[in-house]
Amino acid sequence: MTVTQGEVYSVSDVALLIKKKISKLRDIWVEGEVSNLARSAAGHTYFTLLDEGAVLRCVMFRGGSGEREIENGAAVRAHGYVSLYEARGDLQLIADTVEPVGEGELQRKRDELEKRLRAEGLFEESRKRPIPQFPRRVGVVTSPTGSVWHDIQNVTRRRYPLVELVLAETIVQGKEAAPHIVKALGALNEDSSIDVIIVARGGGSLEDLWAFNEEDVARAIFRGNAPVVSGVGHETDWTIADLVADVRAPTPSAAAEIVLPDQVDLKAKIGAHRRYLNASMGGRIAASSREIDTLRSRLHRGLPDFDTMRLRIDDLMRTTSAHARVAVQVAGERLNGMSARLASMNPKHTLGRGYAIVQRGNLIVTDPSQVDQGDPVEVTVARGRFRAIVANGTGPAVARTRQQSRKIPPTGQASMDLSER
Amino acid sequence: MSETTNADDLTNMTFEQALEQLEKTVRKVENGELPLHETAALFQRGVRLANHCTELLAKAELKITQIQTDYGEGGESESGVRADSSQ
Repeated sequence: MTVTQGEVYSVSDVALLIKKKISKLRDIWVEGEVSNLARSAAGHTYFTLLDEGAVLRCVMFRGGSGEREIENGAAVRAHGYVSLYEARGDLQLIADTVEPVGEGELQRKRDELEKRLRAEGLFEESRKRPIPQFPRRVGVVTSPTGSVWHDIQNVTRRRYPLVELVLAETIVQGKEAAPHIVKALGALNEDSSIDVIIVARGGGSLEDLWAFNEEDVARAIFRGNAPVVSGVGHETDWTIADLVADVRAPTPSAAAEIVLPDQVDLKAKIGAHRRYLNASMGGRIAASSREIDTLRSRLHRGLPDFDTMRLRIDDLMRTTSAHARVAVQVAGERLNGMSARLASMNPKHTLGRGYAIVQRGNLIVTDPSQVDQGDPVEVTVARGRFRAIVANGTGPAVARTRQQSRKIPPTGQASMDLSER
Repeated sequence: MSETTNADDLTNMTFEQALEQLEKTVRKVENGELPLHETAALFQRGVRLANHCTELLAKAELKITQIQTDYGEGGESESGVRADSSQ
């Protein structure tokens, strides 16, 4: 018995039809409670969403956002599209994002604030304050109880321990956090010696980080004099505080690294300067020595030739002494000649030949008029002397007048007294 | 050129100032066809500045102070959630 009326569909046709019908169920948010959670080795997450009246199978493939929010019993909102898995006839939601219920609201508030503050110009690059290269006092707005504060201290000790960290303690989570952070920022900004401020908090959910999405905190960061580096949450979380901060660091440690110079780099720099100075000084000294060498050789070329001069002097000396020897010899010979002549003029030699010297007192008698008859005279001959008396003279010895002298015959001869003296 | 070169001006010099002066000194040596005695003086000063910098780094001990945020006064900060739970 056949009761078939109208068109008959194959299963596949139906599946296809369903697929067509549900194709508009794209880009939808589905809210419900998580159950039947299962995670596959491949990293996909299978779960069902349920409410009072229905269940919906869901899958989130590996890499979806908010995967860690999926816990059995958690109230979540899942975003994705509805699809039919023909092989099993299952309708399921292919989710790409899951967030805890409540966060969607926060996210919308955050996004709305971002839009408003951006329009107001709070995130403008042009108004960002520069981070000083070598800060001396660094303000830190964070909670001292967590590891964030310790991380910042460690990074500082390692990189640039010359700095002073000024902690402005605050709570960083909960309703009181925002006004507390504002207060801490205000206290640091009252101290004009604070060069830069780090605002830091560890990672967390949007709700955990909520204080950093509050308008008051954003305005406090904007208002201060000191530049602010934010290190809030993890790399993927951008809070409003991050947007308004002068520099946004992905983590608290990274914030400290951005703020502080690294002493490893500084030491390398100083070492390079030191080497450069050494090299320049060495080069300068070498250049100067070369200069001195050049000048020295130029000086030598400009000077008279001492060696030649020395030879010439030596030569002159030898010539001079030769001349001198000859002169001395000549002089000597002349002297000898003169001595001989002088010797030949010695009256003794004349006496030797038989001549005699006749003296009346001291007067050597050369003229007969010089003596008178009877005058004693002294006669010197070659071998000695004797006295004699003048036999006939022509005049008195000394005071005789010319007339008297003329009376004495010129051939006057002394008679000799042969007695020896 | 006006900065004095006596030894004492280094003692109170901060790291930043010393490094800046060191860089200036190096630049002067770099640019200058200076007479030997000036190069020597710059060299000496540069070495002293470099020593001062390294010494400051070697001796440095991180200083930590805390500023009063005088928030609430009424113990609000104590009752607040001192949380950093994610860490």
